[in-house]
Amino acid sequence: MSATSLSPGMPSSAASPARRAWMAVLARTPRADLEATLAQVLQELPQPVYDWLRPPEIGLAMVRGRVGGSGDPFNLGEATVTRATLRLRADGAAPAIVGVACHLGRDRRRAELAALADALLQMPEHHDAMQRRLIGPLAAQQQARRARRQQDADSTRVEFFTMVRGD
Amino acid sequence: METSPIALSTLTPGFADPVHDTQAVFRTLLDALSRPGTPGVVGDRLPGSSEAHETHEARAEPAAFAALLTLCDYATPIWLAQADIALASALRFHTGAPLVETPAEAAFAYIHDADALPPLDSFALGNAESPEQSATLLIRVASLTGGAPVVLRGPGIRETATIAPAGLPARFWRERAALAPLFPCGIDCYLVSGTRLVGLPRTTEAKVN
Repeated sequence: MSATSLSPGMPSSAASPARRAWMAVLARTPRADLEATLAQVLQELPQPVYDWLRPPEIGLAMVRGRVGGSGDPFNLGEATVTRATLRLRADGAAPAIVGVACHLGRDRRRAELAALADALLQMPEHHDAMQRRLIGPLAAQQQARRARRQQDADSTRVEFFTMVRGD
Repeated sequence: METSPIALSTLTPGFADPVHDTQAVFRTLLDALSRPGTPGVVGDRLPGSSEAHETHEARAEPAAFAALLTLCDYATPIWLAQADIALASALRFHTGAPLVETPAEAAFAYIHDADALPPLDSFALGNAESPEQSATLLIRVASLTGGAPVVLRGPGIRETATIAPAGLPARFWRERAALAPLFPCGIDCYLVSGTRLVGLPRTTEAKVN
């Protein structure tokens, strides 16, 4: 699997900012949190039935970087990536809903859960419940963790002042 | 063709166990080319239509679809003789292979309607230094039996083998014979029908009775 082969798998609706936001939250959620929270939410929903379009598979993606934002891009190294695509069984004429996950790391189960969550979030009837009970708390958690780290780092901040030398 | 989004909601599923299924299919495809005229079964590894996939079936024969899933990747351009959005989407999604507009650019070609087969010399024949850069054709026939008998001889066949594919235009055998003097350049073919296929490598000499 190469980085370029990932792009055809991304559905066109990936451009929707809301979906991009929840996918970003899912991509940063550890497996244990995702499993526990999703299981709670799924208790109240009918059990989703789905088929794999692409069972979870592990591959490598090249991570590229550039120095200082203006330097030439260079290949930093390869990172393991797990991706999965599933399709919910459609009832009736509505087009079937496809859930996609693409994560750093080698956790197949996590990609499976995230793809399922992505599919459920696209269903109008489940979107609100999923957003409120799954994405909301997880996003808040991540935000809190980030704020805490920032606070820790802030306590070591050193302010440098340049004194104007007087003659 | 390349830039259109893949129709994921109606996409045909690929192999359930890609690693082992493609290995098994590859082995069968290899055997089919090593023993021209002996049918191989490859399409039975795809998920069956019993699994609520009926609405997502590609129009391609299962044998051809399985072979393309096995052989193609981002480095092997595919040409479809008959435009088929479902098959094109499935191949792009599962293999990452580019689809090309002309037969000459293709490494693999699927011809759904054998009557519309373009002249064989419009495909890549390879060149003397790299004869492997030639096209492999998957041609759908109505049936692998019941047509006019064709006697095969050549490497991989002890004496002669006889196949009788139905629904293949007579000019196919003429055009194929015309390419024989170009060896090692040439074109390898698979005749596919349902889940079965017969290999017809460039080394096989075919005589229509």
